[in-house]
Amino acid sequence: MIDFYNTWLPYIYLYVGGGIFFLAGMILIRRTKAIDMRLKRDRFWWKALIFGYFYFAVIHAFLIIAALYL
Amino acid sequence: MQIGTQLDWIVLVIYMIAMLLFGTYFAKYNKDTNDFFFGGRRFTWWIIAMSIVATGISSHSFVKYSAMGFKYGFSSSMSYINDWFFVPFFLFGWLPIIIYSRVRSIPEYFERRFSPSARFLVTILQLLYLVGYVGIGFLTMGKAIMPLMPEYLTFFGIQFHITLMGLIWITAFVTGVYITFGGQTAVIFTDLVQGLMLMTAGFLVFFLGIAYVGGWDSFWSLLPTSWKLPLAHFNTPAEFNSVGTFWEDGIAGSVGFLFMNMGLIMRFMATKNVHEGRKAATINILFMLPLSAIVVGGGGWVAKAISVKFPSLIPAGTAPDAIFVVIANILTGPGVFGFIIAAIAAALMSTVATLLNAAAAIWVNDVDRPVRIWLKIIKKENPVDEKRAMVVARGATVAFTLLGILAVYAFSSYPTVYQAHAFFHATLTPPLMIAIFFGVFWKKFTPAGLITTVIGGISLMLLGNRYPLELIAPIAQGTPYDPVHPFTYMAALYNLIVCSSVAILASLLQHQLKRTANKIRKNVHHQKIMYSIIAFIIAIVVFDIATALFQLSIITFMPTFILTVVMSGFVALVTTFYVKYDPEAQTLGLTIWSIHQAKEWFKGRKLNEREGENAIVSWKLIETDNEDIINFSKHDMHKMAAEPGDLVYISDGRKYLGGLKSCHTVYGEPHNEKAIVHIRKLHIGKGLFVEGRMLEAEKEM
Repeated sequence: MIDFYNTWLPYIYLYVGGGIFFLAGMILIRRTKAIDMRLKRDRFWWKALIFGYFYFAVIHAFLIIAALYL
Repeated sequence: MQIGTQLDWIVLVIYMIAMLLFGTYFAKYNKDTNDFFFGGRRFTWWIIAMSIVATGISSHSFVKYSAMGFKYGFSSSMSYINDWFFVPFFLFGWLPIIIYSRVRSIPEYFERRFSPSARFLVTILQLLYLVGYVGIGFLTMGKAIMPLMPEYLTFFGIQFHITLMGLIWITAFVTGVYITFGGQTAVIFTDLVQGLMLMTAGFLVFFLGIAYVGGWDSFWSLLPTSWKLPLAHFNTPAEFNSVGTFWEDGIAGSVGFLFMNMGLIMRFMATKNVHEGRKAATINILFMLPLSAIVVGGGGWVAKAISVKFPSLIPAGTAPDAIFVVIANILTGPGVFGFIIAAIAAALMSTVATLLNAAAAIWVNDVDRPVRIWLKIIKKENPVDEKRAMVVARGATVAFTLLGILAVYAFSSYPTVYQAHAFFHATLTPPLMIAIFFGVFWKKFTPAGLITTVIGGISLMLLGNRYPLELIAPIAQGTPYDPVHPFTYMAALYNLIVCSSVAILASLLQHQLKRTANKIRKNVHHQKIMYSIIAFIIAIVVFDIATALFQLSIITFMPTFILTVVMSGFVALVTTFYVKYDPEAQTLGLTIWSIHQAKEWFKGRKLNEREGENAIVSWKLIETDNEDIINFSKHDMHKMAAEPGDLVYISDGRKYLGGLKSCHTVYGEPHNEKAIVHIRKLHIGKGLFVEGRMLEAEKEM
């Protein structure tokens, strides 16, 4: 079995490290009103952005589990 | 090992000719430089999303990701699935700003946001970035075709020894000629076809490989667990690890690709509006990039499985960079293999076409015109001489093709294309990335911060290259030291830290810098003082370049480092002294904090953000005038929630054209003829509308 250092640690590093940049971006676009939540179109984009982060996180998690246990 | 047959070469040549003819067909849409560089800003998201696939998958992608896939497994896909973190910044920051500010290039943005000197420095960095990318493309193409070639070719009794560089020169010549005659519209449509071709070729090799080893179950069971993991080992080996890839590719590479790749930015600028640009980018990153990861890495993955099951099939000494071509040759028959190689050629052509088009755009907008204004040949207010600009654009394309070949020499010393590309990203991306990022998202970022980032940041980066153990090792997070190419990946983190540090310091100390600059101004010897400081800066920059290039040790590390930091401070002071900067006027509409203002400027009047529906209408030509307005019925105006003076986009009703026949214009006063739009001759000229065909109208803002 491959150790945590080479399985889940890269995953955590990627999504926590990348997540900090992502979160900073999300906060910034809200604070600056670059995304206007009064508009239906922009509300859609807000949801799409959040979806994208978890979409990739789930894909990577699934692939790690598949590699280790399938 | 003999690779390829005559039939494969025939397929390759036929493909090249077909693309040439296909691309030339769209030349009729190039009426001016706006069409040549931005395709008339008319396309829908799916055309752009698909054409970006071909731009994103370069020939180096097939070679380098298959090589990494063969050596390390599924983790070769990392680079294609780590781009989401910066998407909020791009979709709601950089993309709307660059479109609404109506700039024609990234350097032009820097002149408006900072100063002409900032534009000058960014132009140099942009051109280096683009030429470097072209160089990587040519190097890969040469490496891909090289295994197909015999050792010698004989023409008229003269024997020619075939070398990698010789092959690259020929490839570049063929590609350069093709690109010089195509514009952005031709690039977009050839990329659309080439993107489909790349996908087909990549999946073909992948699925044929799986079938070759006996199906999916057999493929899966042949692979060791470590090889099936989607992320590389945390910090080993030096040439490929997760932490290094995160900083070099996930951060520097993603931002580099989305924010400073002028070729890609121009593609987004070719969409009909910001919303379509967002859709194109999102679909590309969410769906096309993961598929692309399979397309480019799949060859290496099946090669690994085949090498486990049939150890004698792949020669032990096969170079990793040749693995895609070798495995494609094993899996496909004559003719089909030619198709696969044509796909690699397609990848090169599409990527290089985009980059050369971008380099030409920068040359025309940021070098040729400003220099002619500076030399007083033309005045700033003079309109662009389109005929001359097109000639300059084509000449620049040829020149940048040649420079791209020269760049190959800088990268050819790296053992794999992957490392050469990583070195390129880690070295050139950070200063520009920080410049764009802080420029757009931080109002307090000043010209002093920007120029210090570029000059001081690059000098400190050079020191990192000379003293990796002292400067990069402490932040390398355990990645091993390779004395030949030290910290290829982690250098990106060091470079980001030094560039952002000098940027932040120089901007935050603006008040003190201004005070010092004012004190110097009051001194009777102020000119002598400034010239001495500039001489000191030049001396240190030259010293740092020589130290890094020739690995000099004239003085020890610490004094060199301190001198460089001091020099960076002086750069900030000199910039503050000379550059006139109005923080209020030069940030308005040019940072994320004032996007609404940028939108109003784009429209030229107050925004109308009521949401309406699109209208399907037939058109009627008005010949009494040729104003850039179109008139709808009151009913259609109400349906679209539009008012006279709003911006409107009209396109041919056939969706599959993707906006090819379309144009932007302005709503005029309404009439009473329901479902009919009155258009003028100039709209037919721009949109190439066909008589009898319905049009779809969409209110923009």
